[in-house]
Amino acid sequence: MNDDDVIICRCEEVTKGDIRRAIRSGATTFKAVKKFTRAGMGLCQGRTCRRLILQILAQETGQTPGQLAPGSYRPPTRPVPLAALKGEES
Amino acid sequence: MKGPDVVVVGGGVIGTAVTYYLAKQGADVLLLERAELGGETSSACDGFVILQSKSPGVHLALALASAELYRGLADELDWDIEYRNCGGLIVIEREEELPAMRTFMAKQQAIGLDVRLLLGDEVRRLEPALAPHIVGATYSPQDSQVNPLQVVLGFAQAARRLGARVRQGVPLQTLRRAGARVSAVVAGGEEIPAGAVVLCTGVFTPELLTPLGVELPLRPRRGQLVVTEPAPPLVHHIFLCARYIAAKYHPELLAAAEDEALRLGVGLALEQTGSGGFLIGSTREFVGWDKRTTPLGIREIVRHATRILPALAQLNAIRTFAGLRPYTPDGLPFLGPVPGWENLYIAAGHEGDGIALAPITGRLMAELILTGRTSFPLTDFAVDRFARGKDQGGQLKVTP
Ligand SMILES: Cc1cc2nc3c(=O)[nH]c(=O)nc-3n(C[C@H](O)[C@H](O)[C@H](O)COP(=O)(O)OP(=O)(O)OC[C@H]3O[C@@H](n4cnc5c(N)ncnc54)[C@H](O)[C@@H]3O)c2cc1C
Repeated sequence: MNDDDVIICRCEEVTKGDIRRAIRSGATTFKAVKKFTRAGMGLCQGRTCRRLILQILAQETGQTPGQLAPGSYRPPTRPVPLAALKGEES
Repeated sequence: MKGPDVVVVGGGVIGTAVTYYLAKQGADVLLLERAELGGETSSACDGFVILQSKSPGVHLALALASAELYRGLADELDWDIEYRNCGGLIVIEREEELPAMRTFMAKQQAIGLDVRLLLGDEVRRLEPALAPHIVGATYSPQDSQVNPLQVVLGFAQAARRLGARVRQGVPLQTLRRAGARVSAVVAGGEEIPAGAVVLCTGVFTPELLTPLGVELPLRPRRGQLVVTEPAPPLVHHIFLCARYIAAKYHPELLAAAEDEALRLGVGLALEQTGSGGFLIGSTREFVGWDKRTTPLGIREIVRHATRILPALAQLNAIRTFAGLRPYTPDGLPFLGPVPGWENLYIAAGHEGDGIALAPITGRLMAELILTGRTSFPLTDFAVDRFARGKDQGGQLKVTP
C-alpha cells in the first residue's frame, strides 16, 4: 500500500513520504527528522504528530518507539504573542 | 588496506560542502560525523546568503564567489535548497548611522557589489511594513536566502551519488602521525588509513588541535533566535540593521555599552522563511558553550525587531533557540594546511557566514587538497596568521 501522501504534520504539511525520504537519506533520529522535514516544528510544536513520527521512524529503522529519543521542546512551550515577549504589557 | 584519499571530519554545512567538491573532482572521500548531519551550528542559524554584511575586502570577494556558485547549486545537486534571490536590506534607524553606512557601501561597490542607498519613502515603497522612523536602508539585489539544512542534505546526497561515503555517529578520536603526515585516523574505535584529513568541525576544532600542540584562536559566540507562527507574506527581502554590522565587527564597542541590547550584541537579522514563519535574531555573546536562550536576550531581540517592523507584534512566537558561531578574531575563517603537517587541513571559523561561504569553501579546499593550488588566494585565511612564534618541536603555537 502506498500511503506516502498521508499528511503527518498538519501545521507544516509534511507527508509520510517526506518523512520516509528524510529517514532514508540519513535522518535517523527524531531530532533529525524534525529538522530535515520541519514536521513537528509548526504552530502546535509536535503535539499532534510526535507519536506518528516516532512510529514511522521505528518502522523504518527497526527500533521500538521507546528506544528513540523523543526530542526536546524549546521554550516557549505554547505560542506567545511577540507583544508579550517585549515585556511591555504584563 | 588502502583507505580513502581524504577523510573529512564534521558533517555541518562546511564538511558536507568540502566532501561534495572533493568527490566531484574524483577523490575517494569518507565523511565522519560524530552525531548527525547538520546537528550543530548549521541547523541553529538563519539562511542568509548575504553579501552586504561582509567586510569589504577578501571577505566580500570570497562571498561574491560563493554567491555565484549558489546560483546553479540546486540544479547541480539536484536538490531543493530553497534558494531565493530575494534581495536584502540593511535598515538604518538613526541619521548618525548614515555616514558610516555610506562609507561601508562605497567600499563594497568598489569590490563589485551591486548595492545602493534608499532613503525614507523609497525604502518604505519597497517594504511598506517598515516603521515610519526608518531613515533608509542599503539595498542589494544580489542578497539571497537558502534553507541551511537542505544545503547540508543536498551536499551530502550529491556527494554520495558521486561515491563518497558518509558515516554518522562516528567521532574522530585520534590522528596517527608518521613524520609530518597523518597516516590514519582512529574513529569510532576503528583505525582508518587516510591520504589526507580535513577538519570541518566548526566551534569544536580547537579541542581536536590541542592534543597536537596547536592552539587555534576560535571560540563560540552565541546567537539567539525567535521563530514565529507562519504568516501571510509581510516582507519580501531579508533584513539586517546597521547595528548588526557594528555588533559583528566591533565587539569592543558593545562590551562597554550602557544599553542592554547593545551589550548583548543585538542586531536585527530577519527573514520570512519558505514556510511563512519569521526567523528573528539575534545576539552576539561570548558565554562559552551555553546554548540556552535567555529571557533578556529574547526580549531585546523582540523589542528591536518590533520597533523596525511594528506589525510583527501581532504574531505568536512558537520557539526560541540558540546556536554557537565559530568566531575568529578577524572574522575570517581558517582555510588551509596546519603548519608542520603535510596533509592535515582545517576549514573552520566561519562565524556568522558559514552558510553563505560553504560552496566556495568546499571548492577551494578541494582544489588545495587535490592540486596544491587554489583559484582564489588563501593567504588571508592561513591557519597560522595569528602565530607569534613556533616552538622547537615543529609544533605550532598560536596566540590571539
Ligand atoms: C544565530 C545564528 C545565525 C546565523 N545565521 C547565518 C546566516 O544567516 N548566514 C550564514 O551564512 N551563516 C549564518 N550563521 C553561521 C553559520 O551557521 C555557521 O558559520 C556554520 O553553520 C558553521 O558550519 P560548520 O560546518 O563549520 O559547523 P557545524 O555546523 O557546527 O558542524 C561541525 C560538525 O562537526 C561535528 N564534529 C565535531 N567534533 C567532531 C569529531 N571529533 N568527529 C566527527 N565530527 C565532529 C559536529 O557534530 C558538527 O556536526 C549563523 C549562526 C548562528 C549561531
